[in-house]
Amino acid sequence: MINIQDIRDTARDMLAKGEVRAVIGYRRGSRGMLAEPAFITDPEQANELVWDPTCFHNLSLYLVHDRKFLAHIRKNPNAPVAIVAKGCDARSIVVLLQEHYFKREDVYIIGVSCEGTGVVDERKLAPHLNGFQASNAAFDGDDFVFTTAEGEKRLPAREVMADRCLECRIPFPKEHNAVFGEDKTGRQLEAPFAALTRFEAQEAGARWDFWSHHFDRCIRCFACRSVCPMCYCDECVVDSITFPVTHETTAEEKANRIRWIERSATRSENITYLMTRAMHLAGRCTDCSECERACPVNIPLRLLNNKMEREAREQFGFEPGASIGGQSLVASFLDKDPGDFIR
Amino acid sequence: MSEQQVYEPRIVAFLCKWCSSAGSDLAGVSRIQYPPNATPITVPCTGAISPMYIMSAFNKGADGVLVSGCHIGDCHYIEGNFLARRKMKLIMELIEFIGVEPNRFRMSWVSAAEGAKFAQVITDFVDDLKPLGPQDKLKKAELT
Repeated sequence: MINIQDIRDTARDMLAKGEVRAVIGYRRGSRGMLAEPAFITDPEQANELVWDPTCFHNLSLYLVHDRKFLAHIRKNPNAPVAIVAKGCDARSIVVLLQEHYFKREDVYIIGVSCEGTGVVDERKLAPHLNGFQASNAAFDGDDFVFTTAEGEKRLPAREVMADRCLECRIPFPKEHNAVFGEDKTGRQLEAPFAALTRFEAQEAGARWDFWSHHFDRCIRCFACRSVCPMCYCDECVVDSITFPVTHETTAEEKANRIRWIERSATRSENITYLMTRAMHLAGRCTDCSECERACPVNIPLRLLNNKMEREAREQFGFEPGASIGGQSLVASFLDKDPGDFIR
Repeated sequence: MSEQQVYEPRIVAFLCKWCSSAGSDLAGVSRIQYPPNATPITVPCTGAISPMYIMSAFNKGADGVLVSGCHIGDCHYIEGNFLARRKMKLIMELIEFIGVEPNRFRMSWVSAAEGAKFAQVITDFVDDLKPLGPQDKLKKAELT
């Protein structure tokens, strides 16, 4: 069990000593039981930090935002930022470090172990609460305890946990400066890639029916891109409008500019967008599932990213976010990479 | 398309400048007969091909996409085809995953001396594509 007071004390001490500029963590949100990201700069605020089953956000996104902001105001960081990171979040940070997005000394990782459980999936929880809204959620051993207007409701974590947590292989932040909670690596609640394996057992026709249905529904809000810590490019290939257009740019130039992917929310463009995104995340996605959670039309984006993760693992023996010094998936190769598909 | 016309698949072929492109030239100057379905696009190296090019080719109406480069070890840029091998494997798996026929994408190694092999690769690809019919899954709707 993680004692939240330990995390608060660590955050308060470091802020008071000036060892860190800010602490990025979770605090109680304004909507029901849900936690929300907290950005703490005042030691007194450290008591707002919480750690509960609704801390599903991948906070490493805000390290990216911070880095972009500093670049914008042309400042170098004068002290690191501390961040509360679960296993998957810490792996995201490792990928960012591996890509030299920021320096290791610019971030202080306060690791939290998910221990025997993980974070809650709101969609799985909803049917269990008899229409009530939970106002609080807490860890208790292998159970989650939710507080609703009906009183306390205890549910086995396995029933309401996010799929990614059930399938998580390493629910522990290996890369950390300080860590709370026990390392329960190898707990295996469900086989890795179980949801993917179930999906892949279908025929190609059924898979296409499934995906064409979902690709049709994408509204191109780019929530998946906005919420992803790995989507940090200043210019996304999808945004043809971000190419510089000056008063000297002629209409012909604008018309002839390559638009790999149109912005219209039609199936063909959505496929190209989502497939390109999956490729760009191959070997970088650490399965934090934020894209799937943020998606307003519930497109199962995690399946696409999982597919890439599994291929990287099985074909190339590649594990995203395993070590800071490691090479990236598509910028490296092995002599023994499979090549039998090539004529 | 009238009913009398036979369906001819359109292939977009990304050919490496140093090997496959020269290989296709050799097939031409050697007067080897092979189907005219492929539209070659010469690229500096197969390693320079972004998987997005392949998606984009399908998006713009290609029935099949061929990526062809130098044999392993022969890359002009030493390691470009090693990198291509990884990327193309991933995009191939992804295309198959969403339920598109895996035969619509093909990769081959054709050296500058293998004109006959190039002709064979195109012939085989066209033969495999014909039974699949037009590719309309990934194609822009307005182009149909």
